[in-house]
Amino acid sequence: MTSVAIDDDLLTAEATADPYPPFARLRDQDPVRWSARHRAWLLTRYDDVSAAFQNKALSNDRVRPLLAARRQRGEPPREASAADRVLELIGEWMVVSDPPAHTRLRRLAAGAFKGQRISAMGEQIAALVDELVEAFTGGDLISEIAYPLPATVIATMLGAPVADRDRFREWSDELALVAFGTGGDARAERHERALRGLREMDAYFRELIALRRREPAEDMLTALMAADGDSAAGDRLSDDELVSMCALLLFAGHETTTNSIANATLALLRHPDQLARLRADPELIAPAVEELLRFDGPIKVLNRWVVAETEIRGRRISPGERVHLVLASANRDPEKFADPDTLDLARRPNPQIAFGKGIHACIGAQLARMETRIAVARIVERLPGLTLAAEPRWKPSLASRSLEELRVEVVR
Amino acid sequence: MRIGVDPDVCEAHGQCSVVDLDLFPLDDDGYSAVGPDREVPPGEEEAARIGVDACPVRALRVLAG
Repeated sequence: MTSVAIDDDLLTAEATADPYPPFARLRDQDPVRWSARHRAWLLTRYDDVSAAFQNKALSNDRVRPLLAARRQRGEPPREASAADRVLELIGEWMVVSDPPAHTRLRRLAAGAFKGQRISAMGEQIAALVDELVEAFTGGDLISEIAYPLPATVIATMLGAPVADRDRFREWSDELALVAFGTGGDARAERHERALRGLREMDAYFRELIALRRREPAEDMLTALMAADGDSAAGDRLSDDELVSMCALLLFAGHETTTNSIANATLALLRHPDQLARLRADPELIAPAVEELLRFDGPIKVLNRWVVAETEIRGRRISPGERVHLVLASANRDPEKFADPDTLDLARRPNPQIAFGKGIHACIGAQLARMETRIAVARIVERLPGLTLAAEPRWKPSLASRSLEELRVEVVR
Repeated sequence: MRIGVDPDVCEAHGQCSVVDLDLFPLDDDGYSAVGPDREVPPGEEEAARIGVDACPVRALRVLAG
């Protein structure tokens, strides 16, 4: 295989600060690239990433094989027991499943995410956003607004008491730590603490589920318990699956939404003309959020396992290899978007793929859209004197596009 | 109210299905299986409109109602 001499390290300081120039080089020079550095294929063009979502040789089933391999190797039994329980929990997630397991989980979850239910959340989300924005006097917009909002929304949707909101945030961080293996120096200790936290979460969700079985309510958890009306046997989620689903909603809906709001706000602060445009025309918020998700969305890379031989753009991809779908690069592909590096809040059509595509399209996309639209609209409207107070730094993560902080000044 | 999809325009984004999988079913490859002309059950008009609006390439349309 000929290898083009370009730097494909997506975790250098430069690539972390601004990944779009290296993405552009990969797209131009080697769009289906075997990266020894990342031990994965990097797909960077829109068409290839788009097709990959439909390619049945590329599997989502990434956790169960890992779990099986651990068992086969007979990893240390004491440490493994706690970790295995969490891996089992994660292994049930529909985001790491293929059909038919995925189809079933997705059908059962879909009822709880229906458009009408999400729309009905609008007022509550607006009230939560108003509370956070009104209290904000400057400082880190992430820790004060973008970070607390999604965990609170999920806790509210699941019908958890308001007093338990903070625990949801902690569990979300712990899930990220275990699922992504982030944590840096104090890794072993933090990992152990995270596992303890997640056992608590497991017990908490079990209690909440038992309560809702006794006393159904108008919340998402009750909706998740309902049987699939289309299946003859009245198929429904088991308690284990419900716990797993609750954890997934929290994990998948928290950090991503935080980053959507933060990245959108930063992009607007860096493009004062577009910020002024949105201020002058608040009706623009829906296409604006699509464009902000395209321009600097929360997820850079999604993973797939290769389970059958396949060919992409003439490159042979073999079972056992990994493929990285570089969403953030696809969303800047000039073959698909005119002037892709220009932020144009009125861009239409805007087939951005920040939420993925097809049967794996983010089930929480409508909820995330609504949270981001309401949060960005309120930040723009209520904080007219918003300016950057410090040059923000990005976290060195391959998967997510995530700011350390977003320090701003507010002049009311 | 009736809705329909133009299969030549659909790019399998699946954003309609995220709004309501019953109103906007997908085929195995993620393309809309709504068909050219489908009746929306009474009471689900709002979800149908949100789903049609969610299509990033405007492959879905409200046909009448």
